[in-house]
Amino acid sequence: MAVGLPPRWRKVLRDLLTHKLRTLLVVLSIAVGIFAILVVMGGRGILLRTFGDNFPKSNPSTGILYTSGFDASVLERVRLFPGVRDADGRRLVTLTYRVGDVISLPEPPVQETQAVRSKAIELMSSADWTTSRLELVFPQNGAPWPPPRGGVVLEVSDTQIASLAVGDLITVDAPGGGKKLLRVAGFAHDINSFPAMFVGHIRGYVSADTMADLGAPKAMSELLVSLDTTGLDRAGASRIISKIRDDVVAPTGVDVLATYVPDIGSHRLGDIFKAVSVLLLALGVLALILSGFLVVNTVTALLTQQMKQLGIMKAVGGTSWQITRMYLVLVAIYGALAICIGLPAGAFMASWFAVFAGGLLNFGPGSTSPPLSAIELAVAVGFVVPLVAAYVPVHAGTRVSVVEALNSTGMSGAHFGHGRVDRLLGTIRGLPRPVALALRNTFLRKGRLAMTLATLVLAAAVVMSVGSVRASILATVTDMSSWWHYDEQITFAQPVNARLAAREAAKVSGVSGSEGWIVAAASLRRGDGTENDALSVIGLPPATTFITPQITQGRWLVPGDTGVVVNTDVVKSENLSVGDSVSLKVRGVDCTFKIVGVARGQMMGPVFFAEVTKLDSLLSFQGSITRLMVRSDSHAAADQDATGDRLERRFSGLGLLVSGVQGQARQSESFANQLGILVTFLIIMAVILATVGVIGLVGTMIINVLESTREIGVMRAVGASHASIFRVFVTEGFVIGVLSWAGGVVLSFPMSWALVQLLQSAIGVPLTYAFSWQVVALWLVVVSAISAAASLLPAYRASQVSVRDAIAYE
Amino acid sequence: MPTRTDTGHEPLIRISSLVKTYDSGEVPFTALKGVDLIVQPGEFVGLIGKSGSGKTTLINMITGIDRPTSGEVVISGTPVHALSENKLAVWRGRTIGVVFQFFQLLPTLTVVENVMLPMDFCNVHLARERETYALALLEQVEMADQAYKLPSALSGGQQQRVAIARALANDPPILAADEPTGNLDSVTAESVFALFEKLVAGGKTIVMVTHDNDIAARVARALHVRDGEIVDDIRREK
Ligand SMILES: Nc1ncnc2c1ncn2[C@@H]1O[C@H](COP(=O)(O)OP(=O)(O)O)[C@@H](O)[C@H]1O
Ligand SMILES: [Mg+2]
Repeated sequence: MAVGLPPRWRKVLRDLLTHKLRTLLVVLSIAVGIFAILVVMGGRGILLRTFGDNFPKSNPSTGILYTSGFDASVLERVRLFPGVRDADGRRLVTLTYRVGDVISLPEPPVQETQAVRSKAIELMSSADWTTSRLELVFPQNGAPWPPPRGGVVLEVSDTQIASLAVGDLITVDAPGGGKKLLRVAGFAHDINSFPAMFVGHIRGYVSADTMADLGAPKAMSELLVSLDTTGLDRAGASRIISKIRDDVVAPTGVDVLATYVPDIGSHRLGDIFKAVSVLLLALGVLALILSGFLVVNTVTALLTQQMKQLGIMKAVGGTSWQITRMYLVLVAIYGALAICIGLPAGAFMASWFAVFAGGLLNFGPGSTSPPLSAIELAVAVGFVVPLVAAYVPVHAGTRVSVVEALNSTGMSGAHFGHGRVDRLLGTIRGLPRPVALALRNTFLRKGRLAMTLATLVLAAAVVMSVGSVRASILATVTDMSSWWHYDEQITFAQPVNARLAAREAAKVSGVSGSEGWIVAAASLRRGDGTENDALSVIGLPPATTFITPQITQGRWLVPGDTGVVVNTDVVKSENLSVGDSVSLKVRGVDCTFKIVGVARGQMMGPVFFAEVTKLDSLLSFQGSITRLMVRSDSHAAADQDATGDRLERRFSGLGLLVSGVQGQARQSESFANQLGILVTFLIIMAVILATVGVIGLVGTMIINVLESTREIGVMRAVGASHASIFRVFVTEGFVIGVLSWAGGVVLSFPMSWALVQLLQSAIGVPLTYAFSWQVVALWLVVVSAISAAASLLPAYRASQVSVRDAIAYE
Repeated sequence: MPTRTDTGHEPLIRISSLVKTYDSGEVPFTALKGVDLIVQPGEFVGLIGKSGSGKTTLINMITGIDRPTSGEVVISGTPVHALSENKLAVWRGRTIGVVFQFFQLLPTLTVVENVMLPMDFCNVHLARERETYALALLEQVEMADQAYKLPSALSGGQQQRVAIARALANDPPILAADEPTGNLDSVTAESVFALFEKLVAGGKTIVMVTHDNDIAARVARALHVRDGEIVDDIRREK
């Protein structure tokens, strides 16, 4: 072997090949570090890049005007308005649909299955899809485009909640009355639509002809505007959009019901995505630290073992640099091998993660290879960190005298008996022998113990913090449920008479009470002329029993009230307080209210609550409502669904178009699901980080055994049984596991609190902080099992060491 | 700065007021209490004394394997006590062959590779000729037939011979051996001693620690060490 190679390089090579277990261990430890970093940072990078590519490509709008209906001539006028880059129009209708052809089955069977329950579909049409200019939709897998007449092209994220395939038929309740069949013609990606999972309904694209066939008005309803955004901020954009509304659109006789201007260049899921991105970044940094610890720990342990040989080489004339170079090359080879394993595995997992997360967030197709920066970071950790970690002890080793190097037993082993911990351990009497020995062993290698503990503590804290984030989300959902007391809420496509709705609802079996609300989008006119259009106003009876508003300031509504109560979300974004006067534009009508109270927001965005009769008269609704809150006998999710379904059928049977049916249990569920996506990401990452910690523990245990071979031999020579040596090492693993758990609990308090803060500021929803003791208990069980198991193999090897092997071992 | 002695010529080894105090234990322990010693080229010096008297400590000071607390060790004009660890290694590689009591061969290198290692480090001989030289040295210690085995396959006596061959690899003028026969049976010990005599006859200077009285009686100069001091310096007439 290695003919012609100088002996010192032969030694490097043989060290790699002779100690295969050790090589495997070191390489695996480094590879796991590379893997973890690549998955977290690389996965995040892929997501950012896919989004960064696909979102601008869709040509997103700067603002949207929701109108009663306009035609191409209005669009032309808007395009000519100064500052406007382009404008486009869409028609959007929300309908209920059932899977399959149910026209021939007018009365569905009593025992209706989940599959034929009616659900909501949002149909969107463009005057001509082939020439649409803004918020472009990209057909996937050769879907026919524009959508053929009678066909619907579904948004790809629809499959998140509906199992529909090309060729399937759906039956929709046509806006013009009656039922119509649509055939699924294919799928398309629309980055500007909410993923189905987040909104709970599906989205389909149809041609203008199909829309007309369904009996929907031909005019477009949504006016998309793209502004020249150079140097433009949100307030400026909002000002221009209001101007367009007042100076261009309104004079043509078109009613503008609401406007929407998000942050410039932001995506509708921007907040959730920001949360995902920020959490991934935080975990990525943790992964980096963990991996760094693991790599340093492993390399240090490896070199501690080599100190004696280092001493011998010095004794026969090896210079510092010659010896240092040998070990740097050795470690560089370990690093290179680790990169060979960790890089492809990490890249694969990163792309899997990105595809999974990108699918949930509906970012669309993109390249799935991790960005160079993530690969560079991983390579740095796999290569540079081990080299630095090796350089430090080797350099120190070449500095001390040969005798010291020859006598060295480990990083601090020689000093046992001096520290406070050691003395404390010395005072613990009456412990069983193996336990005492294991404790002594554990603390003997304090430096390594510290590193292993740090790694495991961090892993434990991450797992526990993730558990607490999840608990906080659940607590928030529970809080929300105690706020709402409805069972079903029915949203009507057009205002309907309140008495009629209540009377008809009461006839539906299972219904025990109802209340009519007026719910409308509103925009707030600010003092500086800009507008906040992301608001809604709810008109409800002050004595409502369908919500329990928690008043934080002022008072709740009273009968005949002319004031409004705002929720905390409004106060947060608008700097308003009780006593202020606000001017709102609701369905094209200007209204002025005085704020009389502030209620805690319940994840409904910024809302103004007004007395329903007051709002009715302002909007000239003449006793009409847009939403019916219903209470039913059973609060179970399935019963709420069934009752909701019967209500919807009753209303559509009367020609009252229902655009949404929502059971409360389902709503909580869907909210929990949305946040659950974040939790899923967190759990995936926590598992990866926990794996890093566990591999670190196994590695330390194996190295400890390798290092203690001589001691084990001596113990065997003086009569220790296999079983008692086995026990020594298992106890050692267990002690490390439990210590790390305790440290993890302490660290998880600030860490989980910080993660929850991060999350709520990212999604803009206040979360109820809850600490998860369950996960703390669970991790204790897991880590004791894992750490005892992790020491099984090394403990077994230790118990098998014979006296002869031990003495012969170098 | 080599200091001239009274005789007017520089000795090979000159040790003056050498003190070594170990302070790694509970209380500091002075193992060498001001040793003075001069060794001339070609001498065969035996360090003799009871276990714990300070023999190993003294020889480690000569080889620069450990550092004195105070005092000087000057070898052919080089102040060993003042060299940095790095310079020390280079100097030792060419000047002193070290033989340890517990052989200390590198376990993953074969016998011949262990012998070649010092040549490699100190860049002695052409790379392709090193093996020939190493084999010749192994021939001298009668180990040539085991040249391609790993140390773990050898007996203690065989490992010690390899260690001696390794100590001779760079043809150093001095050989320092700490109880080279301590772990060997009397027959093997005898052959190692015979080898040393041969080397001295060939012009090498040897400093050897031993507590074997038979061997101690046969060295040219026996230094008796007790409690960290040289208490007797006996020269045997040839
Ligand atoms: N590293 C050390 N730390 C503390 N004391 C030491 C150390 N090495 C040797 N000693 C002490 O120094 C004395 C001399 O040791 P040594 O030179 O090894 O003796 P010898 O080789 O003659 O048996 C002994 O009492 C020994 O206990
Ligand atoms: Mg000794």
